[in-house]
Amino acid sequence: MRELELYFGPQHLGMVGNFSITLQVEGDRIVKATANPGFLHRGFEKLMEQRTWIQNFPLVCRINVVEPDHMELMYAMAVEKLAGIEVPERAQFIRSIYLELARVGSHLFGLWAYANMLGFDTVANWAMYHRDLILDLFEELTGGRVYHIYLWPGGVRRDFPEGFEERIRSTLHTIGSCVPDYDDTFFHNRLFYERAHGVGKLSREDACRMGAVGQVLRATGMKKDIRKTEPYAAYDQVDWEIPVRTDGDAYSRIWVVRDEMIESVHMIFKLLDKLPKGEAYQRIPNPFKWKIPESEVYVRCESSRGELGLYLVSDGGDKPCRAHFRTPSYSHGLTILEKALENESIADVGNIMISLYITAPEIDR
Amino acid sequence: MKNPGKKLQDELRSMFESISTEGDGENRMTVKCRKEAVITMLSFLKKTGFDHLALISCVDRLNDNVLELVYILSSYGGDVAMQKLNILLKTTIPRENPQFYTATEIFGNASPYERELHELYGILFRGHPRLTPLFLEREYDIPPFRKDFDTRKYVKDVFDQIPFVDDKKGRT
Repeated sequence: MRELELYFGPQHLGMVGNFSITLQVEGDRIVKATANPGFLHRGFEKLMEQRTWIQNFPLVCRINVVEPDHMELMYAMAVEKLAGIEVPERAQFIRSIYLELARVGSHLFGLWAYANMLGFDTVANWAMYHRDLILDLFEELTGGRVYHIYLWPGGVRRDFPEGFEERIRSTLHTIGSCVPDYDDTFFHNRLFYERAHGVGKLSREDACRMGAVGQVLRATGMKKDIRKTEPYAAYDQVDWEIPVRTDGDAYSRIWVVRDEMIESVHMIFKLLDKLPKGEAYQRIPNPFKWKIPESEVYVRCESSRGELGLYLVSDGGDKPCRAHFRTPSYSHGLTILEKALENESIADVGNIMISLYITAPEIDR
Repeated sequence: MKNPGKKLQDELRSMFESISTEGDGENRMTVKCRKEAVITMLSFLKKTGFDHLALISCVDRLNDNVLELVYILSSYGGDVAMQKLNILLKTTIPRENPQFYTATEIFGNASPYERELHELYGILFRGHPRLTPLFLEREYDIPPFRKDFDTRKYVKDVFDQIPFVDDKKGRT
């Protein structure tokens, strides 16, 4: 049969974000897929070398549009390690609560994209609405809805306002009480099973070999989470479980996302119960004259997409010498996607891509 | 175990010549070696259990006239103490006409990282199956992430030339 070349994206209804895949198809089977990033390359890492340590915060959060908060955390953690700044205990708890809220918001956004792609518009709209409720919390706390610039070397920018803990609880109750509705309409729906089961299957060996992280890896049965292996913020202060599935297909990946959201919500309640009193930030040196001694560091955390890392080098000056983000979508979008799309049908491209949780800004940076 | 990297440190020192290792006591271990040993070292570390390649990065050391390549490895399948440890494997290559060997046969996800470094630092990875452009649209004289690439000058030279929309000179 004759082979055709098809372009999926960057301007395609099924494409989420500025990304493109070139597909070699035979009939409706994909013979070969080639990922083309670069439509959103802004050269942030080069730009960061020309900004002072503190000026980089508004840049790093823009690396991932969907969940900027883990990017802030990475940069704040790296600067803290380089400059030897301690973070007060209350700030650690606030960070964890804030990051878990970000995770739920990001997963709801992912659920919106996935449900929308499958044609479950109602569920998609619910997810978007519930994400907005979380963005309302962020707006009250930081003044910004999408980019918050809230984490800071030495803690957080400001403490929780009065009564904020109660408002977190009530928002999460509003969202959590809708889980049965989500389950009935979407997760236990036969249509979802039929569309997603066995699609974009990855074996555990393949996933490990190609550097899968996050829920892509957890959907193949690997119980791996940086929050457990190398706890940061206050994740070692509360009990929680790592949700896993064993099939490694799109169905498992989306179920892991659902379970993770529920686990995060429970974790926020536990963290709020234990939230200690005290200072929310540590004073840092004058940012205009701040020089950090010559050293380098690699820090990592579990973002909602998987292992996120930052390799930061200082040459003793007032600006970073080199910053390199290790982003989860990089391996997922450039290596695993190409493998997972082989021998699948054209109709499943969006299904596989969104279930792998790929965000283009994270790849391009 | 207090220092999970200690045993590995001794093992590496006994197996490889002229390497230097240092641990910072916080689950990070830096290993510096000659460039010829990197590929052997990577496959040895992979066999030892460091099966996850987190990042391949590069730092332009303009003062020493070298490019420093950094491979960051961690363990996803090992025991708890090992999973905490991250290894930063470093080597240096000359800045002029930089060439290196590909790690794509050892780590499946090395390919895009090497393509990125090829594009942004001009390093040629020998044996790479697909060293095609990844992000950039234009051609550059100096690879753009090198320290001697002047971003401001480049922006001024290239983008100051573009006329405004209502600028109709030259057409009429």
